[in-house]
Amino acid sequence: MSAPLRDPHRLLAGLHKAGVSLELSSLDVCFLAALHLRADQDGLASFDEELVFDIFDQICDLVEPGAENSRKRATHAIQRLREQRMLARVDASGVVSAGEYALTSLAIAIVKSFLDDEQLTRESLALLTGAVISSLGQIRASASRTEGETAWRTNVVSPLRVTVGDLIGGIERRQRGLDGQQEDVQRQIGELLQDDWFGAVDQCQALLDATTGTLQELNEVLMRDSSLIQSLLQEIQQSALAKEAKEAEEAVQRVVEQVDRMTAWGNSRQKAWSGYYLYVHRFLRDVVRLDPDRALSQRLLDQIRAWPSRPFAQIAAADDRIRLLRPVSARGERPPVGRRRVNRDSEVTTVSATDDEVDLEALVRQELRDGARDLATVTRRVLAHITPADRYRTIGRVAAVVAKLARPRSLHERPWITVDDAVEIEDWTIEIGRGEHET
Amino acid sequence: MSGRFASLEDVVQDRTFPAVDVALRRGHHIDRDAADWYAFLSDAQDHLEPFYRRYGCELVKQSEGYFYLLPTGDQLPRRHLTGGEMLVGQTLALQYLDPATLQSGGIVTREQLLTRLASLIGARALAKIFEPRRRRFDNERIVHEIVRARIAEGIRRLASLGFIELVDDERIRLRSPLLRFAEPVRGLSDPAAAMERLVARGEIVFTATTGEATSVRSLDADASAAEDVEDDLNGLPHEEEP
Repeated sequence: MSAPLRDPHRLLAGLHKAGVSLELSSLDVCFLAALHLRADQDGLASFDEELVFDIFDQICDLVEPGAENSRKRATHAIQRLREQRMLARVDASGVVSAGEYALTSLAIAIVKSFLDDEQLTRESLALLTGAVISSLGQIRASASRTEGETAWRTNVVSPLRVTVGDLIGGIERRQRGLDGQQEDVQRQIGELLQDDWFGAVDQCQALLDATTGTLQELNEVLMRDSSLIQSLLQEIQQSALAKEAKEAEEAVQRVVEQVDRMTAWGNSRQKAWSGYYLYVHRFLRDVVRLDPDRALSQRLLDQIRAWPSRPFAQIAAADDRIRLLRPVSARGERPPVGRRRVNRDSEVTTVSATDDEVDLEALVRQELRDGARDLATVTRRVLAHITPADRYRTIGRVAAVVAKLARPRSLHERPWITVDDAVEIEDWTIEIGRGEHET
Repeated sequence: MSGRFASLEDVVQDRTFPAVDVALRRGHHIDRDAADWYAFLSDAQDHLEPFYRRYGCELVKQSEGYFYLLPTGDQLPRRHLTGGEMLVGQTLALQYLDPATLQSGGIVTREQLLTRLASLIGARALAKIFEPRRRRFDNERIVHEIVRARIAEGIRRLASLGFIELVDDERIRLRSPLLRFAEPVRGLSDPAAAMERLVARGEIVFTATTGEATSVRSLDADASAAEDVEDDLNGLPHEEEP
């Protein structure tokens, strides 16, 4: 079975809820490192309690010489490390006998990150990419002849996840190691110049060139091998696609993304380093070589301190105005703003409230008598007698007269019917009682 | 003479010329980071020097690898940097010379600049320089606000003149033209004598702080002192009309 993709939000919430935290002092890290080194040296899988106490004593002598109650402190340290899942008790005897302890994978990872010098070199990168290519070649061959879900999982998905994933993970880990090395070089260059200014120029140059060379070589290997890796992955993906092996497709996609990340690292580091390289070169040439006694900084410092009492300013060109090529004209007298006085009150006249000459009710009554049984028909026929200017306001009046003379019935959704070139109305059905339109 | 341009006409016809010309006239400093512009100026230098001289300007190239236009006559407008710009520029030049800045590839933060400047001059003294008309500087919060605002203004102006580059809101990339701020102390001669030489060349101008205003003391016989005082009172960069 494939492991389901885990929701990062849920995982993080779980970690927070569990109150996961790590707190390690320098003494704790040294103690763990000493245990790890001892296990490495003597081929130990676990440590008996006496050995753990002995190692703690040695560390105490080294880190905090003269500290008292070392036994008690060792007990506390062991307890602390066990609570943080760094040390595990493996004897299963509880408190009845002396314990047997082992370092957990968490402790080993932490110690290794401090002790191991996993850096990317041309050799290690070429070896690792070679191994990736070889594994992918085998997987491609398996993918072309594999049938069935279980076989795909065994022959393709698992090797991709475990073998190839781990190999590329190894490259990425070493890339991070090289990042750390670059930071060290940058710090070292600063410190060298701080300590020995002009005398450090050659050493700085050598450090710069060494790192530049390493990065160039690595990028060459990455460029060359990553395209081969990508094409192998593409072939595996096509086989998976053809045989509808979805899980394998996803596994290939994950590796593709890993390879993309690995290649992007090479490009971005080379670009960043080239900027830094140029900057340091200019610094060595323009600042260090031109001021071998490093007197300039001090003189500038004095200048800044004295500036408020004897201020001076630099001159700079400042032609930053927009030139407007406007014709010169003498401005004449502007006439005052005003208008002629007139009497703006209009005479009031009397008009009749209604000037309909059409008897609307008679027209509606006639249409009902002629058999019109919906509002739209009545309205359309009546409007034929009305001048276009009055049609819009007449429509409402027709509806009112129809409602007065008959019983309108309407559906829940009333249909819109055109009654004029420009007007639609919601229609009613008209129901007329016996002798109703006669009245 | 450079092989790329046979005559001034070739230089002016080059597609880079208008942008570079406008930038130089606006007081921009062009260094090696602006690779195309720098290469153009290096190739066209022999033709452009007499060209700009006709406008009463010197096209200056410094050994650290940057160009700028220095108005020495009356035909091109010029300005002198404000007190805030001068202090920020000198402090950034000091950081440019510091090998500790190498680790970050020549990038410093505003906070580092502020700390450095405050440690060199003192926050209150800085506020007095930035706000000469203000009498009271008791409120620490106001002092810090003044200093921050004026430093931010100085940074913005220096970036527009090509002394620095703003990477983002917080980080500043230092560029080689900053060494112009260290020019008075570059040689081993007496700094006062070096400064007088720079004044004579029209590179710098002495300003006198008179409590409420700063005015031009030398260099430009034709510059209006009254205008200088007015501009400084308004906190504006000083601009001299041709």
